[in-house]
Amino acid sequence: MSDLDRQIEQLKKCEPLKESEVKALCLKAMEILVEESNVQRVDAPVTICGDIHGQFYDMKELFKVGGDCPKTNYLFLGDFVDRGFYSVETFLLLLALKVRYPDRITLIRGNHESRQITQVYGFYDECLRKYGSVNVWRYCTDIFDYLSLSALIENKIFSVHGGLSPAISTLDQIRTIDRKQEVPHDGAMCDLLWSDPEDIVDGWGLSPRGAGFLFGGSVVTSFNHSNNIDYICRAHQLVMEGYKWMFNNQIVTVWSAPNYCYRCGNVAAILELDENLNKQFRVFEAAPQESRGAPAKKPAPDYFL
Amino acid sequence: MEVEVDEKDLKAAGAELLPDGRRGLRIHGWEIESRNRSILTSLNFQQWEEKLQTSHLPEMVFGDSCLVLKHVSSGTKIHFNAFDALAGWKQEGLPPVEVPAAAQWKFRSKPFQQVILDYDYTFTTPYCGSETIEIDAEHGRVEVSERSSSLHWEDCKEQIDVVALASKDPILFYDEVVLYEDELADNGVSLLTVKVRVMPSSWFLLLRFWLRVDGVLMRLRDTRMHCVFGDGLNPIILRESCWREATFQALAAKGLPSDSAAYSDPSIISQRLPVIMHRTQKLKVPGSL
Repeated sequence: MSDLDRQIEQLKKCEPLKESEVKALCLKAMEILVEESNVQRVDAPVTICGDIHGQFYDMKELFKVGGDCPKTNYLFLGDFVDRGFYSVETFLLLLALKVRYPDRITLIRGNHESRQITQVYGFYDECLRKYGSVNVWRYCTDIFDYLSLSALIENKIFSVHGGLSPAISTLDQIRTIDRKQEVPHDGAMCDLLWSDPEDIVDGWGLSPRGAGFLFGGSVVTSFNHSNNIDYICRAHQLVMEGYKWMFNNQIVTVWSAPNYCYRCGNVAAILELDENLNKQFRVFEAAPQESRGAPAKKPAPDYFL
Repeated sequence: MEVEVDEKDLKAAGAELLPDGRRGLRIHGWEIESRNRSILTSLNFQQWEEKLQTSHLPEMVFGDSCLVLKHVSSGTKIHFNAFDALAGWKQEGLPPVEVPAAAQWKFRSKPFQQVILDYDYTFTTPYCGSETIEIDAEHGRVEVSERSSSLHWEDCKEQIDVVALASKDPILFYDEVVLYEDELADNGVSLLTVKVRVMPSSWFLLLRFWLRVDGVLMRLRDTRMHCVFGDGLNPIILRESCWREATFQALAAKGLPSDSAAYSDPSIISQRLPVIMHRTQKLKVPGSL
Protein backbone atom coordinates (compact mmCIF):
# COMPACT_ATOMS: atom_id res chain seq x y z
CA MET A 1 0.00 0.00 0.00
CA SER A 2 1.43 3.38 -0.98
CA ASP A 3 1.76 6.23 1.52
CA LEU A 4 -1.04 8.03 -0.24
CA ASP A 5 -3.41 5.05 -0.05
CA ARG A 6 -2.59 4.67 3.61
CA GLN A 7 -3.29 8.38 4.18
CA ILE A 8 -6.63 8.07 2.42
CA GLU A 9 -7.56 5.13 4.65
CA GLN A 10 -6.55 7.14 7.69
CA LEU A 11 -8.53 10.20 6.62
CA LYS A 12 -11.58 8.04 5.93
CA LYS A 13 -11.51 7.23 9.64
CA CYS A 14 -11.54 10.97 10.34
CA GLU A 15 -7.97 10.90 11.61
CA PRO A 16 -5.97 13.94 10.49
CA LEU A 17 -2.54 13.59 8.85
CA LYS A 18 0.75 14.73 10.33
CA GLU A 19 1.78 18.26 9.53
CA SER A 20 4.67 17.06 7.35
CA GLU A 21 2.29 14.80 5.43
CA VAL A 22 -0.10 17.70 4.84
CA LYS A 23 2.77 19.76 3.47
CA ALA A 24 3.81 17.03 1.04
CA LEU A 25 0.22 16.36 -0.01
CA CYS A 26 -0.39 20.03 -0.73
CA LEU A 27 2.76 20.24 -2.86
CA LYS A 28 1.58 17.31 -4.97
CA ALA A 29 -1.91 18.75 -5.25
CA MET A 30 -0.52 22.05 -6.39
CA GLU A 31 1.24 20.39 -9.32
CA ILE A 32 -2.06 18.93 -10.46
CA LEU A 33 -4.30 21.93 -9.82
CA VAL A 34 -2.01 24.44 -11.49
CA GLU A 35 -2.61 22.65 -14.80
CA GLU A 36 -6.39 22.94 -14.55
CA SER A 37 -8.36 25.53 -16.46
CA ASN A 38 -10.53 28.17 -14.80
CA VAL A 39 -13.35 26.39 -16.62
CA GLN A 40 -12.31 22.82 -15.98
CA ARG A 41 -13.63 20.28 -18.50
CA VAL A 42 -15.51 17.41 -16.89
CA ASP A 43 -16.83 14.29 -18.62
CA ALA A 44 -20.10 12.56 -17.82
CA PRO A 45 -21.08 10.45 -16.01
CA VAL A 46 -20.42 12.64 -13.02
CA THR A 47 -21.97 13.31 -9.61
CA ILE A 48 -22.19 16.95 -8.56
CA CYS A 49 -21.99 17.92 -4.87
CA GLY A 50 -22.62 21.24 -3.16
CA ASP A 51 -21.41 22.70 0.15
CA ILE A 52 -19.92 20.28 2.73
CA HIS A 53 -18.71 22.72 5.43
CA GLY A 54 -16.58 20.36 7.45
CA GLN A 55 -19.43 17.94 8.17
CA PHE A 56 -17.14 14.95 7.71
CA TYR A 57 -19.52 12.21 8.82
CA ASP A 58 -22.24 13.58 6.57
CA MET A 59 -19.79 13.55 3.66
CA LYS A 60 -19.25 9.87 4.39
CA GLU A 61 -23.02 9.46 4.02
CA LEU A 62 -22.68 11.27 0.70
CA PHE A 63 -20.11 8.71 -0.48
CA LYS A 64 -22.35 5.89 0.71
CA VAL A 65 -25.20 7.27 -1.40
CA GLY A 66 -23.13 8.33 -4.40
CA GLY A 67 -20.53 5.55 -4.39
CA ASP A 68 -16.83 5.66 -3.65
CA CYS A 69 -14.29 7.64 -5.61
CA PRO A 70 -12.80 6.55 -8.08
CA LYS A 71 -15.70 4.27 -9.02
CA THR A 72 -17.90 7.36 -9.14
CA ASN A 73 -16.61 10.48 -10.87
CA TYR A 74 -17.17 13.51 -8.61
CA LEU A 75 -17.43 17.25 -8.99
CA PHE A 76 -17.45 19.25 -5.74
CA LEU A 77 -18.59 22.86 -5.96
CA GLY A 78 -16.56 24.27 -3.08
CA ASP A 79 -17.16 25.28 0.55
CA PHE A 80 -15.40 22.23 1.95
CA VAL A 81 -14.40 24.02 5.14
CA ASP A 82 -15.77 26.21 7.98
CA ARG A 83 -18.87 25.89 10.20
CA GLY A 84 -18.62 22.13 10.85
CA PHE A 85 -16.32 20.32 13.31
CA TYR A 86 -14.07 18.51 10.80
CA SER A 87 -12.93 20.94 8.14
CA VAL A 88 -9.36 19.63 8.32
CA GLU A 89 -10.26 15.98 7.73
CA THR A 90 -12.90 16.84 5.13
CA PHE A 91 -10.65 18.99 2.98
CA LEU A 92 -7.62 16.71 3.32
CA LEU A 93 -9.61 13.63 2.31
CA LEU A 94 -10.93 15.39 -0.79
CA LEU A 95 -7.46 16.67 -1.60
CA ALA A 96 -5.87 13.24 -1.11
CA LEU A 97 -8.48 11.72 -3.44
CA LYS A 98 -7.68 14.45 -5.95
CA VAL A 99 -3.97 13.60 -5.85
CA ARG A 100 -4.65 9.86 -6.04
CA TYR A 101 -7.35 10.01 -8.76
CA PRO A 102 -6.94 13.39 -10.51
CA ASP A 103 -9.29 12.47 -13.36
CA ARG A 104 -12.04 11.11 -11.12
CA ILE A 105 -12.62 14.04 -8.82
CA THR A 106 -12.80 17.76 -9.56
CA LEU A 107 -12.69 20.35 -6.80
CA ILE A 108 -13.62 23.93 -7.53
CA ARG A 109 -13.32 26.90 -5.23
CA GLY A 110 -16.06 28.20 -2.94
CA ASN A 111 -16.12 31.55 -1.17
CA HIS A 112 -15.03 29.82 2.06
CA GLU A 113 -11.80 28.67 0.42
CA SER A 114 -10.23 31.95 1.41
CA ARG A 115 -7.79 33.18 4.05
CA GLN A 116 -10.04 35.93 5.25
CA ILE A 117 -13.26 33.92 5.56
CA THR A 118 -11.63 30.89 7.24
CA GLN A 119 -10.21 33.13 9.95
CA VAL A 120 -13.70 34.09 11.02
CA TYR A 121 -15.77 30.95 10.39
CA GLY A 122 -13.85 28.10 11.91
CA PHE A 123 -11.14 26.50 9.74
CA TYR A 124 -8.32 28.65 11.10
CA ASP A 125 -9.27 27.92 14.72
CA GLU A 126 -9.69 24.23 13.97
CA CYS A 127 -6.19 23.99 12.46
CA LEU A 128 -4.71 25.82 15.42
CA ARG A 129 -6.56 23.54 17.84
CA LYS A 130 -5.68 20.29 16.08
CA TYR A 131 -2.04 21.06 15.20
CA GLY A 132 -1.00 23.68 17.75
CA SER A 133 0.17 25.94 14.95
CA VAL A 134 -1.30 27.57 11.87
CA ASN A 135 1.08 25.87 9.41
CA VAL A 136 -1.59 23.46 8.16
CA TRP A 137 -3.97 26.36 7.66
CA ARG A 138 -1.23 28.06 5.58
CA TYR A 139 -0.61 24.99 3.40
CA CYS A 140 -4.33 24.57 2.79
CA THR A 141 -5.12 28.20 2.08
CA ASP A 142 -2.17 28.30 -0.34
CA ILE A 143 -3.78 25.37 -2.16
CA PHE A 144 -7.13 27.20 -2.22
CA ASP A 145 -5.55 29.75 -4.58
CA TYR A 146 -4.95 26.99 -7.12
CA LEU A 147 -8.49 25.57 -7.13
CA SER A 148 -10.34 26.05 -10.38
CA LEU A 149 -13.21 28.56 -10.51
CA SER A 150 -15.77 26.58 -12.48
CA ALA A 151 -16.40 23.42 -14.48
CA LEU A 152 -18.08 22.62 -17.75
CA ILE A 153 -19.67 19.21 -18.10
CA GLU A 154 -19.76 17.87 -21.66
CA ASN A 155 -19.93 21.48 -22.87
CA LYS A 156 -23.55 21.57 -21.68
CA ILE A 157 -23.69 22.19 -17.94
CA PHE A 158 -21.85 25.09 -16.39
CA SER A 159 -20.95 24.58 -12.72
CA VAL A 160 -19.79 27.23 -10.31
CA HIS A 161 -19.99 27.83 -6.56
CA GLY A 162 -21.96 31.10 -6.44
CA GLY A 163 -23.20 32.34 -9.77
CA LEU A 164 -22.80 34.79 -12.59
CA SER A 165 -21.07 38.14 -12.90
CA PRO A 166 -22.00 41.22 -14.92
CA ALA A 167 -18.33 41.28 -15.97
CA ILE A 168 -18.68 37.83 -17.58
CA SER A 169 -20.81 37.04 -20.58
CA THR A 170 -18.73 34.25 -22.13
CA LEU A 171 -16.83 31.28 -20.74
CA ASP A 172 -13.71 32.59 -22.47
CA GLN A 173 -13.81 35.63 -20.22
CA ILE A 174 -13.58 33.30 -17.22
CA ARG A 175 -10.65 31.50 -18.83
CA THR A 176 -8.63 34.72 -18.86
CA ILE A 177 -8.92 35.41 -15.11
CA ASP A 178 -5.66 35.09 -13.16
CA ARG A 179 -7.09 32.98 -10.36
CA LYS A 180 -3.96 32.27 -8.30
CA GLN A 181 -4.73 34.75 -5.57
CA GLU A 182 -6.85 35.29 -2.49
CA VAL A 183 -10.51 35.78 -3.46
CA PRO A 184 -10.78 39.52 -4.20
CA HIS A 185 -13.50 41.74 -2.70
CA ASP A 186 -14.91 42.65 -6.10
CA GLY A 187 -14.64 41.78 -9.75
CA ALA A 188 -15.47 38.73 -11.84
CA MET A 189 -13.68 36.15 -9.68
CA CYS A 190 -15.43 37.43 -6.56
CA ASP A 191 -18.84 37.31 -8.27
CA LEU A 192 -18.43 33.71 -9.47
CA LEU A 193 -17.87 32.60 -5.88
CA TRP A 194 -20.33 34.91 -4.13
CA SER A 195 -23.36 35.89 -6.22
CA ASP A 196 -26.87 34.48 -5.88
CA PRO A 197 -29.87 34.03 -8.16
CA GLU A 198 -32.84 36.12 -7.01
CA ASP A 199 -36.51 35.79 -7.89
CA ILE A 200 -37.48 39.37 -7.36
CA VAL A 201 -35.04 40.87 -9.86
CA ASP A 202 -35.07 40.14 -13.55
CA GLY A 203 -31.74 41.63 -14.53
CA TRP A 204 -29.07 42.47 -11.98
CA GLY A 205 -29.60 43.37 -8.34
CA LEU A 206 -27.25 44.76 -5.74
CA SER A 207 -27.48 43.34 -2.22
CA PRO A 208 -28.55 45.76 0.53
CA ARG A 209 -25.09 45.15 2.04
CA GLY A 210 -23.73 47.35 -0.72
CA ALA A 211 -21.60 44.49 -2.07
CA GLY A 212 -22.67 41.26 -3.78
CA PHE A 213 -24.63 40.78 -6.96
CA LEU A 214 -27.98 39.10 -7.39
CA PHE A 215 -29.03 37.92 -10.80
CA GLY A 216 -32.46 37.31 -12.24
CA GLY A 217 -33.98 35.01 -14.83
CA SER A 218 -33.18 37.05 -17.92
CA VAL A 219 -29.49 37.15 -17.00
CA VAL A 220 -29.42 33.35 -16.80
CA THR A 221 -31.36 32.96 -20.07
CA SER A 222 -28.95 35.12 -22.00
CA PHE A 223 -25.84 33.54 -20.42
CA ASN A 224 -27.05 30.02 -21.17
CA HIS A 225 -28.00 31.00 -24.69
CA SER A 226 -24.79 32.76 -25.62
CA ASN A 227 -22.66 29.93 -24.22
CA ASN A 228 -24.85 27.20 -25.64
CA ILE A 229 -25.38 25.48 -22.30
CA ASP A 230 -28.45 23.67 -21.00
CA TYR A 231 -28.37 24.91 -17.43
CA ILE A 232 -26.18 26.16 -14.60
CA CYS A 233 -25.48 24.06 -11.52
CA ARG A 234 -24.37 25.97 -8.42
CA ALA A 235 -24.27 25.62 -4.61
CA HIS A 236 -23.69 28.36 -1.98
CA GLN A 237 -27.22 28.59 -0.55
CA LEU A 238 -28.93 26.35 1.97
CA VAL A 239 -31.97 24.57 0.56
CA MET A 240 -34.20 22.65 2.97
CA GLU A 241 -35.02 20.03 0.29
CA GLY A 242 -31.39 19.64 -0.84
CA TYR A 243 -31.85 21.12 -4.30
CA LYS A 244 -33.90 23.79 -5.96
CA TRP A 245 -34.56 24.74 -9.58
CA MET A 246 -35.14 28.35 -10.55
CA PHE A 247 -36.08 30.31 -13.64
CA ASN A 248 -37.76 27.46 -15.54
CA ASN A 249 -35.03 24.92 -14.90
CA GLN A 250 -32.25 27.14 -16.17
CA ILE A 251 -30.31 27.01 -12.89
CA VAL A 252 -30.24 24.58 -10.01
CA THR A 253 -28.86 24.94 -6.49
CA VAL A 254 -27.40 21.77 -4.97
CA TRP A 255 -26.78 21.64 -1.23
CA SER A 256 -24.88 18.70 0.29
CA ALA A 257 -24.67 19.47 4.02
CA PRO A 258 -27.57 17.67 5.74
CA ASN A 259 -28.75 19.00 9.12
CA TYR A 260 -26.60 22.04 8.46
CA CYS A 261 -24.70 23.32 11.50
CA TYR A 262 -26.03 20.21 13.27
CA ARG A 263 -29.41 21.83 13.93
CA CYS A 264 -31.28 22.89 10.76
CA GLY A 265 -32.90 19.53 10.11
CA ASN A 266 -32.58 19.90 6.32
CA VAL A 267 -31.87 17.05 3.92
CA ALA A 268 -29.00 17.20 1.43
CA ALA A 269 -28.73 16.27 -2.23
CA ILE A 270 -26.25 15.34 -4.92
CA LEU A 271 -26.95 15.42 -8.64
CA GLU A 272 -26.03 12.33 -10.63
CA LEU A 273 -25.61 12.73 -14.38
CA ASP A 274 -25.29 9.62 -16.52
CA GLU A 275 -23.33 9.42 -19.77
CA ASN A 276 -26.29 10.98 -21.62
CA LEU A 277 -26.61 13.74 -19.02
CA ASN A 278 -29.85 12.31 -17.65
CA LYS A 279 -30.35 13.75 -14.20
CA GLN A 280 -31.07 12.03 -10.96
CA PHE A 281 -31.06 13.84 -7.63
CA ARG A 282 -30.11 11.64 -4.70
CA VAL A 283 -31.40 13.04 -1.43
CA PHE A 284 -29.83 11.97 1.86
CA GLU A 285 -29.96 12.71 5.56
CA ALA A 286 -27.33 13.38 8.17
CA ALA A 287 -25.25 10.50 9.48
CA PRO A 288 -26.92 8.78 12.44
CA GLN A 289 -25.64 9.88 15.80
CA GLU A 290 -23.99 6.56 16.66
CA SER A 291 -21.74 6.71 13.57
CA ARG A 292 -20.28 10.06 14.59
CA GLY A 293 -17.12 10.35 16.62
CA ALA A 294 -18.19 13.25 18.79
CA PRO A 295 -20.92 13.05 21.40
CA ALA A 296 -24.28 14.67 20.69
CA LYS A 297 -24.49 18.38 21.23
CA LYS A 298 -26.67 18.49 24.32
CA PRO A 299 -27.41 21.89 25.71
CA ALA A 300 -25.59 21.75 29.02
CA PRO A 301 -27.63 23.52 31.70
CA ASP A 302 -25.85 26.71 32.51
CA TYR A 303 -26.44 29.43 35.07
CA PHE A 304 -26.73 32.14 32.46
CA LEU A 305 -27.68 35.61 33.64
CA MET B 1 -31.57 15.77 23.83
CA GLU B 2 -33.12 15.17 27.25
CA VAL B 3 -31.10 16.79 29.99
CA GLU B 4 -30.56 14.67 33.04
CA VAL B 5 -32.63 15.96 35.91
CA ASP B 6 -32.44 14.69 39.43
CA GLU B 7 -35.79 13.02 40.20
CA LYS B 8 -35.42 13.94 43.86
CA ASP B 9 -34.94 17.62 43.04
CA LEU B 10 -38.06 17.58 40.89
CA LYS B 11 -40.14 15.90 43.56
CA ALA B 12 -38.89 18.17 46.32
CA ALA B 13 -39.85 21.20 44.22
CA GLY B 14 -43.30 19.82 43.51
CA ALA B 15 -42.56 19.70 39.81
CA GLU B 16 -43.30 17.07 37.20
CA LEU B 17 -41.91 16.61 33.71
CA LEU B 18 -44.33 16.92 30.81
CA PRO B 19 -45.59 13.59 29.48
CA ASP B 20 -45.50 12.08 25.97
CA GLY B 21 -41.93 13.06 25.13
CA ARG B 22 -42.68 16.77 25.38
CA ARG B 23 -39.82 18.85 26.70
CA GLY B 24 -40.63 20.85 29.79
CA LEU B 25 -42.28 20.67 33.16
CA ARG B 26 -45.15 21.74 35.38
CA ILE B 27 -44.26 23.68 38.47
CA HIS B 28 -46.17 25.97 40.85
CA GLY B 29 -49.07 26.45 38.47
CA TRP B 30 -46.86 27.02 35.41
CA GLU B 31 -46.47 24.77 32.43
CA ILE B 32 -43.16 25.46 30.71
CA GLU B 33 -42.44 23.83 27.37
CA SER B 34 -39.81 24.17 24.66
CA ARG B 35 -39.87 22.84 21.11
CA ASN B 36 -36.82 22.57 18.86
CA ARG B 37 -37.79 21.79 15.28
CA SER B 38 -36.31 21.97 11.76
CA ILE B 39 -36.09 25.08 9.62
CA LEU B 40 -39.08 25.93 7.44
CA THR B 41 -39.57 23.97 4.24
CA SER B 42 -39.45 25.96 1.00
CA LEU B 43 -43.25 25.86 0.81
CA ASN B 44 -43.79 27.18 4.34
CA PHE B 45 -41.05 29.69 3.76
CA GLN B 46 -43.03 31.13 0.84
CA GLN B 47 -46.19 31.24 2.91
CA TRP B 48 -44.40 33.18 5.64
CA GLU B 49 -43.09 35.61 3.05
CA GLU B 50 -46.64 36.22 1.90
CA LYS B 51 -48.02 36.57 5.42
CA LEU B 52 -45.27 38.95 6.44
CA GLN B 53 -45.44 40.74 3.10
CA THR B 54 -41.76 40.47 2.41
CA SER B 55 -39.60 38.74 -0.16
CA HIS B 56 -36.75 38.24 2.30
CA LEU B 57 -36.50 36.12 5.41
CA PRO B 58 -33.49 34.77 7.34
CA GLU B 59 -32.15 31.68 5.59
CA MET B 60 -32.75 29.61 8.71
CA VAL B 61 -36.18 30.18 10.19
CA PHE B 62 -37.05 27.70 12.91
CA GLY B 63 -40.72 28.38 12.40
CA ASP B 64 -42.10 25.56 14.53
CA SER B 65 -39.69 26.02 17.40
CA CYS B 66 -40.87 27.91 20.43
CA LEU B 67 -40.73 28.42 24.15
CA VAL B 68 -44.04 28.67 26.00
CA LEU B 69 -44.60 29.54 29.65
CA LYS B 70 -48.22 29.16 30.58
CA HIS B 71 -49.81 30.12 33.86
CA VAL B 72 -52.43 27.40 33.82
CA SER B 73 -55.18 28.78 36.08
CA SER B 74 -55.33 32.22 34.43
CA GLY B 75 -54.55 31.06 30.88
CA THR B 76 -51.80 33.66 30.64
CA LYS B 77 -49.25 32.54 28.12
CA ILE B 78 -45.81 34.10 27.61
CA HIS B 79 -44.31 32.70 24.45
CA PHE B 80 -41.47 33.17 22.00
CA ASN B 81 -41.65 32.40 18.31
CA ALA B 82 -39.96 33.41 15.07
CA PHE B 83 -43.08 34.72 13.37
CA ASP B 84 -43.83 37.45 15.90
CA ALA B 85 -40.15 38.36 16.03
CA LEU B 86 -40.02 38.76 12.25
CA ALA B 87 -43.21 40.81 12.30
CA GLY B 88 -41.30 43.11 14.68
CA TRP B 89 -38.35 43.24 12.26
CA LYS B 90 -40.67 44.13 9.41
CA GLN B 91 -42.28 46.88 11.43
CA GLU B 92 -39.04 48.41 12.71
CA GLY B 93 -37.65 48.44 9.16
CA LEU B 94 -34.16 49.76 9.88
CA PRO B 95 -32.10 51.03 6.94
CA PRO B 96 -29.51 48.56 5.59
CA VAL B 97 -25.97 48.53 6.97
CA GLU B 98 -23.21 48.69 4.36
CA VAL B 99 -20.38 46.17 4.64
CA PRO B 100 -16.76 47.37 4.32
CA ALA B 101 -16.49 46.10 0.72
CA ALA B 102 -19.34 48.44 -0.24
CA ALA B 103 -16.92 51.35 -0.44
CA GLN B 104 -14.93 49.53 -3.12
CA TRP B 105 -18.10 48.48 -4.90
CA LYS B 106 -19.17 52.08 -5.40
CA PHE B 107 -16.37 52.36 -7.97
CA ARG B 108 -17.35 49.25 -9.87
CA SER B 109 -18.94 49.69 -13.24
CA LYS B 110 -22.55 48.77 -12.67
CA PRO B 111 -24.56 46.64 -15.04
CA PHE B 112 -27.24 48.34 -17.02
CA GLN B 113 -30.65 47.68 -15.43
CA GLN B 114 -29.70 47.20 -11.81
CA VAL B 115 -32.03 47.07 -8.84
CA ILE B 116 -30.66 48.04 -5.43
CA LEU B 117 -32.37 46.12 -2.66
CA ASP B 118 -32.87 48.11 0.51
CA TYR B 119 -34.48 45.95 3.18
CA ASP B 120 -32.87 45.43 6.60
CA TYR B 121 -30.92 42.24 5.87
CA THR B 122 -29.72 42.09 9.48
CA PHE B 123 -33.20 41.08 10.66
CA THR B 124 -32.85 43.31 13.70
CA THR B 125 -35.98 43.01 15.80
CA PRO B 126 -37.34 44.85 18.86
CA TYR B 127 -39.15 41.63 19.80
CA CYS B 128 -39.32 40.97 23.52
CA GLY B 129 -41.77 38.10 23.63
CA SER B 130 -45.46 37.53 22.98
CA GLU B 131 -48.27 37.23 25.45
CA THR B 132 -51.81 35.96 25.14
CA ILE B 133 -54.59 34.76 27.36
CA GLU B 134 -55.73 31.35 26.36
CA ILE B 135 -59.16 30.34 27.56
CA ASP B 136 -59.95 26.66 27.59
CA ALA B 137 -63.50 26.82 26.27
CA GLU B 138 -65.54 23.69 26.02
CA HIS B 139 -65.24 23.59 22.25
CA GLY B 140 -61.60 24.23 21.63
CA ARG B 141 -59.40 27.06 22.68
CA VAL B 142 -59.92 30.75 22.26
CA GLU B 143 -56.89 32.99 22.19
CA VAL B 144 -57.14 36.58 23.23
CA SER B 145 -54.31 38.80 22.14
CA GLU B 146 -52.48 41.21 24.40
CA ARG B 147 -54.36 44.29 23.27
CA SER B 148 -57.84 43.07 23.95
CA SER B 149 -56.92 41.39 27.20
CA SER B 150 -55.94 42.68 30.57
CA LEU B 151 -52.25 41.83 30.12
CA HIS B 152 -50.28 45.00 30.55
CA TRP B 153 -46.55 45.51 31.04
CA GLU B 154 -45.98 48.57 33.17
CA ASP B 155 -42.69 50.39 33.66
CA CYS B 156 -41.22 49.77 37.09
CA LYS B 157 -38.21 50.45 39.26
CA GLU B 158 -37.67 46.89 40.49
CA GLN B 159 -34.69 45.08 39.05
CA ILE B 160 -34.21 41.42 38.39
CA ASP B 161 -32.51 39.91 41.44
CA VAL B 162 -29.22 38.85 39.86
CA VAL B 163 -27.71 37.85 43.19
CA ALA B 164 -30.47 35.34 43.83
CA LEU B 165 -30.10 34.07 40.27
CA ALA B 166 -26.38 33.59 40.71
CA SER B 167 -26.95 31.08 43.51
CA LYS B 168 -26.52 27.52 42.37
CA ASP B 169 -30.02 26.22 43.01
CA PRO B 170 -30.62 23.01 41.12
CA ILE B 171 -31.80 23.56 37.55
CA LEU B 172 -34.91 21.48 37.04
CA PHE B 173 -35.31 22.35 33.40
CA TYR B 174 -33.02 24.01 30.90
CA ASP B 175 -33.22 24.54 27.18
CA GLU B 176 -32.12 26.83 24.40
CA VAL B 177 -34.28 27.46 21.35
CA VAL B 178 -33.00 29.09 18.17
CA LEU B 179 -35.79 31.10 16.53
CA TYR B 180 -33.94 32.33 13.47
CA GLU B 181 -30.45 32.70 12.13
CA ASP B 182 -28.82 34.24 9.11
CA GLU B 183 -25.17 34.18 8.08
CA LEU B 184 -25.52 37.52 6.26
CA ALA B 185 -24.00 35.77 3.23
CA ASP B 186 -20.81 35.21 5.25
CA ASN B 187 -20.62 38.81 6.41
CA GLY B 188 -21.34 38.03 10.03
CA VAL B 189 -24.21 36.62 12.01
CA SER B 190 -27.77 37.46 12.93
CA LEU B 191 -29.18 35.15 15.57
CA LEU B 192 -32.28 35.17 17.73
CA THR B 193 -32.36 32.63 20.55
CA VAL B 194 -34.14 32.15 23.84
CA LYS B 195 -32.69 30.27 26.82
CA VAL B 196 -34.65 29.24 29.85
CA ARG B 197 -33.84 27.73 33.22
CA VAL B 198 -36.29 26.67 35.88
CA MET B 199 -35.20 26.40 39.50
CA PRO B 200 -37.25 25.33 42.56
CA SER B 201 -38.00 28.96 43.42
CA SER B 202 -38.29 30.75 40.06
CA TRP B 203 -37.99 30.64 36.29
CA PHE B 204 -35.63 32.83 34.34
CA LEU B 205 -35.16 33.36 30.63
CA LEU B 206 -32.99 35.31 28.24
CA LEU B 207 -34.15 36.24 24.77
CA ARG B 208 -31.17 37.45 22.79
CA PHE B 209 -30.86 39.05 19.40
CA TRP B 210 -27.20 39.02 18.40
CA LEU B 211 -25.89 40.75 15.31
CA ARG B 212 -22.36 41.09 14.04
CA VAL B 213 -21.76 42.68 10.66
CA ASP B 214 -18.07 41.90 10.15
CA GLY B 215 -15.94 45.01 10.25
CA VAL B 216 -18.94 47.28 10.78
CA LEU B 217 -21.03 46.87 13.91
CA MET B 218 -22.42 44.67 16.63
CA ARG B 219 -25.83 44.83 18.16
CA LEU B 220 -27.09 42.96 21.20
CA ARG B 221 -30.70 43.19 22.24
CA ASP B 222 -31.34 41.22 25.41
CA THR B 223 -34.64 40.66 27.14
CA ARG B 224 -34.59 38.90 30.49
CA MET B 225 -37.66 37.71 32.34
CA HIS B 226 -37.80 36.47 35.88
CA CYS B 227 -40.72 35.11 37.82
CA VAL B 228 -40.43 34.11 41.47
CA PHE B 229 -42.87 31.41 42.53
CA GLY B 230 -45.17 32.65 45.29
CA ASP B 231 -48.59 31.36 46.25
CA GLY B 232 -49.13 30.71 42.53
CA LEU B 233 -52.25 32.86 42.18
CA ASN B 234 -51.06 36.25 40.95
CA PRO B 235 -47.45 35.90 39.92
CA ILE B 236 -45.45 38.94 38.89
CA ILE B 237 -43.06 38.73 35.96
CA LEU B 238 -40.18 41.18 35.75
CA ARG B 239 -38.88 42.01 32.31
CA GLU B 240 -35.62 43.82 31.65
CA SER B 241 -34.66 44.86 28.15
CA CYS B 242 -31.15 46.00 27.46
CA TRP B 243 -29.91 47.05 24.04
CA ARG B 244 -26.24 47.43 23.32
CA GLU B 245 -24.53 48.55 20.16
CA ALA B 246 -21.04 49.47 18.99
CA THR B 247 -19.22 49.94 15.73
CA PHE B 248 -15.91 48.18 15.16
CA GLN B 249 -14.45 51.63 14.62
CA ALA B 250 -15.52 52.80 18.09
CA LEU B 251 -14.09 49.62 19.67
CA ALA B 252 -10.78 50.11 17.87
CA ALA B 253 -10.68 53.73 19.08
CA LYS B 254 -10.93 52.41 22.65
CA GLY B 255 -8.02 50.08 22.01
CA LEU B 256 -10.21 46.97 21.95
CA PRO B 257 -9.74 44.25 19.33
CA SER B 258 -11.42 45.00 16.04
CA ASP B 259 -11.23 41.64 14.26
CA SER B 260 -14.47 39.71 13.92
CA ALA B 261 -12.97 36.50 15.30
CA ALA B 262 -12.66 38.18 18.71
CA TYR B 263 -16.43 38.63 18.80
CA SER B 264 -17.84 35.18 18.25
CA ASP B 265 -19.51 34.77 21.65
CA PRO B 266 -21.77 37.64 22.69
CA SER B 267 -21.94 36.55 26.34
CA ILE B 268 -18.20 37.09 26.70
CA ILE B 269 -17.98 40.50 25.06
CA SER B 270 -21.33 42.06 25.92
CA GLN B 271 -19.78 44.39 28.51
CA ARG B 272 -17.63 45.97 25.81
CA LEU B 273 -20.70 47.22 24.00
CA PRO B 274 -22.22 50.41 25.38
CA VAL B 275 -25.86 50.33 26.49
CA ILE B 276 -28.14 52.38 24.29
CA MET B 277 -31.48 51.43 25.86
CA HIS B 278 -32.49 49.95 29.18
CA ARG B 279 -36.00 49.40 30.45
CA THR B 280 -37.58 47.42 33.26
CA GLN B 281 -41.23 46.44 33.25
CA LYS B 282 -43.48 44.13 35.14
CA LEU B 283 -46.56 42.13 34.37
CA LYS B 284 -49.07 41.19 37.01
CA VAL B 285 -50.58 37.96 35.90
CA PRO B 286 -54.35 38.32 36.38
CA GLY B 287 -56.26 36.06 38.72
CA SER B 288 -57.88 32.83 37.70
CA LEU B 289 -60.63 33.04 35.13
